[in-house]
Amino acid sequence: MRWEVFRQDKRGDYHKHCGDIHAPDREMATLFAQIQHGRRMTTNSLWVVPSDEVTEIDTEDTAFGGRTDKAYRWATTYNVDASFAKEVEDSEKEQAAVERERGATASEGEGDD
Amino acid sequence: MDIDAVKARAGPREFGPADDMPEEYRKAATRMLQFHANSEIMGAYLEKPFIRKSPSIDRKLAFSAKVQDEIGHGQLLYRAAEALGVKTREEMLDELGRGDGKFLNCFHYEMTDWWETPMIAFFVDGAAMKRQATLKQSSWTPYAHAMDKICFEEGFHVKHGEDIMRELASGSRKEQRLLQEAFDTWWPRILQFFGPTDDKSTHHDFAADVGLKTMTNDELRNQFLNAYVPKARKYGLEIPDEPRIRYHEDRDHYEVVEDDLDWDEFFAIAKNEYPEGLDQINGRASAREAVEWARESLDASDSGMPGAAVAAGSD
Repeated sequence: MRWEVFRQDKRGDYHKHCGDIHAPDREMATLFAQIQHGRRMTTNSLWVVPSDEVTEIDTEDTAFGGRTDKAYRWATTYNVDASFAKEVEDSEKEQAAVERERGATASEGEGDD
Repeated sequence: MDIDAVKARAGPREFGPADDMPEEYRKAATRMLQFHANSEIMGAYLEKPFIRKSPSIDRKLAFSAKVQDEIGHGQLLYRAAEALGVKTREEMLDELGRGDGKFLNCFHYEMTDWWETPMIAFFVDGAAMKRQATLKQSSWTPYAHAMDKICFEEGFHVKHGEDIMRELASGSRKEQRLLQEAFDTWWPRILQFFGPTDDKSTHHDFAADVGLKTMTNDELRNQFLNAYVPKARKYGLEIPDEPRIRYHEDRDHYEVVEDDLDWDEFFAIAKNEYPEGLDQINGRASAREAVEWARESLDASDSGMPGAAVAAGSD
């Protein structure tokens, strides 16, 4: 039986997928997860989940964020200065970084066609 | 864990569902989160009519996206609250429906005209974002995690709100006048957003001691005024003479003369007894009732759950 392992580096962080393991039952799975994924990297906690219980949906199945131009929902669209408040500026920067990433992925996709 | 241990360990993202938290902590965190989640929902309902009333297709799309975001924020926060094990999401939504759920003062007022929208979409959202950014440091990890996503999205809301204000402020004389009138009406409410001064706030001490929040109402209000008063002036808005605010240059501090604010109204609102607020609560309760059938049909088809396929097949 296959299990997916999610590791949290330190208290308060997000659990991030770090790999999978084989184990016959839950108890053995927690043991193997520790040995394989929890020993070398800093680890505060592991989530161990039967792979069958993980449902995946990917870009083949759906268009995340839709197919139409949704510029209106990005902070970067509005031509007013965000620097007056750090939290607004931070949010705009985070959004700009995601937009760049999305743009890069989209143009890669076009190249493949 | 007892309260002393919690206070000793209190820090950003220190506690989560795996920790055995004392009842006092779980109740205080539930109160904060439920208030916050309710406010997201009630704020969305206040702005919802402007999807229809928007003067252009761009504004319509933006308001529709924003309302959708706010409902999503409510859902995230009810989940973070539920994880404390005090109340279920269903219970919290029922309380909101029957007028027992508390939410932000500004969302108890009617908003009817387009030129009022920047008061919520820029000033109130801006004030909320100030507070929310500090809650990324909350000791309840699910709360802090919800804030990561919410703050990511809020930048769009505040900038969109400012964009509407910019448009009105550089529009016709009539638009400028209506914007100023809306500001005169909303400004005292916005000043009350952060609640009464620290010495009158009842819940702060404990919430601060256990790390649920990291800043006082006064600190947040001062930071808000430092950033947003210059913005208001930039768009030609005159700050009303009353309530008086006095800027102390030596300590970069805005003093708000609290006696100029209507605290009877504020506390009536806090008890859900203000007439306009009751209209908002009842309006939302009817909307919720109207889609009861949709929730019931979802409950009836739980076939996506592990093991449910067998049960469905055996029916």
